Amino acid sequence: MQFQLTDEQRALQDAVRSYLRGRFGPQQVRELYDSPDSDGVPAALWQSLGEQGWLAVLVPEEHDGIGLGLLDAAVLAREFGAGTVPGPWLGTVLAGEALRLAGSSDQQAAHLPRIAAGEIKGAVALLKAGSSASPSAAPATAQAGTLSGRLDLVEYPSVADLLVVAAQDGLYLVDPRGPGVTITDLPALDRTTRLGTVVLDGAAGEKLEGSTPEVVQDLLDRAAVLVASDLVGIARKAVTDTVEYDKTRVQFGKPVGSFQALKHHLADLHISVTFAEHAATYAAHAADIDAEDRQLAASIAKSKAADVAAEATGAMIQYHGGIGYTWEHDTHFYFKRSKRLEAAFGDGAQHRERIARLLIDAGQQGAAPDETTASTTGLEMSVGVA
Amino acid sequence: MDLRHTEQDEHFRKEFRSWLDSNLPQEMRTREFWADHSDDEAFEIRRTWEQGKATAGFAGISWPTEYGGRGGTPTMKAIYDEEMSLARAPHTVNPLGLAFLAPTVMAIGTEQQKKTIISPLLHCDVIWCQGFSEPGAGSDLAALQMKAEPQGEDYLLNGQKIWTTNATHGDKIFTLARTSSPEGGKKHAGISMLLVDMHQPGIQARPLTQMTGAKEFGEVFYTDAVCPQDEILGGEGNGWATAMLLLSFERGSSAISQYVEYRHQWGEVVDVASRLERDGRPASKDPVLRQRLASALVDLECLKYHSWHVLTQTSQGKDLGFEASMTKLMWSETFRKVSDAYEAVTGVGFQVPDLGLGHSLDELTTMAMWSRSCTIWGGSSEVQRTVVAERVLGLPR
Repeated sequence: MQFQLTDEQRALQDAVRSYLRGRFGPQQVRELYDSPDSDGVPAALWQSLGEQGWLAVLVPEEHDGIGLGLLDAAVLAREFGAGTVPGPWLGTVLAGEALRLAGSSDQQAAHLPRIAAGEIKGAVALLKAGSSASPSAAPATAQAGTLSGRLDLVEYPSVADLLVVAAQDGLYLVDPRGPGVTITDLPALDRTTRLGTVVLDGAAGEKLEGSTPEVVQDLLDRAAVLVASDLVGIARKAVTDTVEYDKTRVQFGKPVGSFQALKHHLADLHISVTFAEHAATYAAHAADIDAEDRQLAASIAKSKAADVAAEATGAMIQYHGGIGYTWEHDTHFYFKRSKRLEAAFGDGAQHRERIARLLIDAGQQGAAPDETTASTTGLEMSVGVA
Repeated sequence: MDLRHTEQDEHFRKEFRSWLDSNLPQEMRTREFWADHSDDEAFEIRRTWEQGKATAGFAGISWPTEYGGRGGTPTMKAIYDEEMSLARAPHTVNPLGLAFLAPTVMAIGTEQQKKTIISPLLHCDVIWCQGFSEPGAGSDLAALQMKAEPQGEDYLLNGQKIWTTNATHGDKIFTLARTSSPEGGKKHAGISMLLVDMHQPGIQARPLTQMTGAKEFGEVFYTDAVCPQDEILGGEGNGWATAMLLLSFERGSSAISQYVEYRHQWGEVVDVASRLERDGRPASKDPVLRQRLASALVDLECLKYHSWHVLTQTSQGKDLGFEASMTKLMWSETFRKVSDAYEAVTGVGFQVPDLGLGHSLDELTTMAMWSRSCTIWGGSSEVQRTVVAERVLGLPR
């Protein structure tokens, strides 16, 4: 039983932390906040992501990638959340995953090596805005190889070289600069991203032939797990920074962190964040080993992480007092990023509804005797899938 | 990341499961069986069964063999806990002896104490109670007032203990008492842990009726009760340190058995929800109840992941220290959440056992109420949150 990151994964974590500490800290995030009209992709940061191999983690070795698992990518996502790192990392990685899971070998060979090297940026439009993360919520309509539809709140469409769009019959590659594609930038509250509306009007789409509904669902679950990991990183950072601040901030002659009203809530938050960390870790691992409960695990991770990050970033503002409500403090970086990601790829309530469908409606509630219960306990299950 | 157990650990699972298959009668796995027996009868049935289990070698799983244990790994202990819960085997009759007293005696007991205490306890020939809480000393344990005054070679004990599990079934009670006056107002000083025989005229145990109607705990009155002066664990005046050591042995607990138990409970609640009508459809189709049930399930599964975390740590020989307070909070609060969902699902029907489902809901209702005790005993949630805040997060006192 080793429910922990490997030495290699810890080294990866340290490498990202050390990079961010030295080269992309809160000051650099603030510069981005102060220049909302920029493309939102700090050039040096993006170049480093490519050089460090952080865009290549999930790309198979045969396509010049590193060929690691979702848990390795989740380690990166968690640190990017903690550092409120901007840029189209997620969209690019997910475009790569779409190609890896559903693309032909020609399509893979054409794009994956360039994704791995950081030469191209990706964006994805897999869901109607606000929808549950299901293949049935595809935002585009495909007809004879052309795509139409309005894709709302797409991340980084203006800088993307490659757009992956979900239509009613599967996934398509679209050239964001091709005819029939109109992109309108939108101002986003969270300035560590860039949002836009993409209108497709008979745009050419190149089908990813392997994109069955199951594969699209798999892609959506992977997206949910990476977003959950980012949220977990945000939440942990919010709790840690708040605890540190409340150790030193003095009111009524004492550090405010000595007051039980704060202590008890911070203790509860620490526990909730710990739960969410476990959930995100297991969900990524479950995808990597194709565990029986991988869909359930993805929804557990996303719903828990969304709830916890919302609470933690809210508490971060509250327990910093007035300074926590100012533009000059970093609290709002975390709060705004959290709000964006809480809702991405299904919010907490939507994923709980999916959990209900998976476990309550499917009659797998485990009320009946030992067979059923046994299959739902992790120690058992982990043996079963190994 | 590797969630598999070793072959040796899995072999143990097979062996124990097969023993349970042959030695735990089906009827003992049902709630009706236990409902048909009085508390006293049920206690003796459980004791007899547990004695058989110990004789078969399935007790003291991770204890050293020199103390009659199995010498197993922490993982084997977790597997044992899990299999016991999966089989719906009766809870131990000697929880305080097995989980707390025995490891403490192994750590700091005299050779004589090791010889006389551990084996009878393991085989449930001697049932141990814990005499810590008093009417005026609950969360603030060090406020205890029990007096132990030397007389000849004995101590004479006077005072009262309360919330004592198995008070009326106990043979002996490890008792925190003041053997000398606290020096300079230091209330942790002058306390000793005495090993007191409960079968004597100076001891009177009375059951307390819980809000469920059960009588699992009680109060113990000491009126010139006698305890030989050499029946001290950890030395005279060292009672506080001994008690802290004793309580620390819960730290290795992974909460996997709680997970299995409450996950089963959750399944039963879902079953009830799917058969009860609410607004013209099954309660399990009510969107708000679905959210509550799913939310409880999320925390349940997180509790399972956490038990893997604990097991990973303990298998590497790490002491979880004050993180143990997190585990206690996690399982007890999650249990409450599942129970709250049950109360919401049954609604007005929570009041009566028969909702026309073909079986009584008595036990589920009792379990829901029992969850209310788990956030109090063993350190209330409020005490645990303070521990987590100060000892884990480092917030100032």
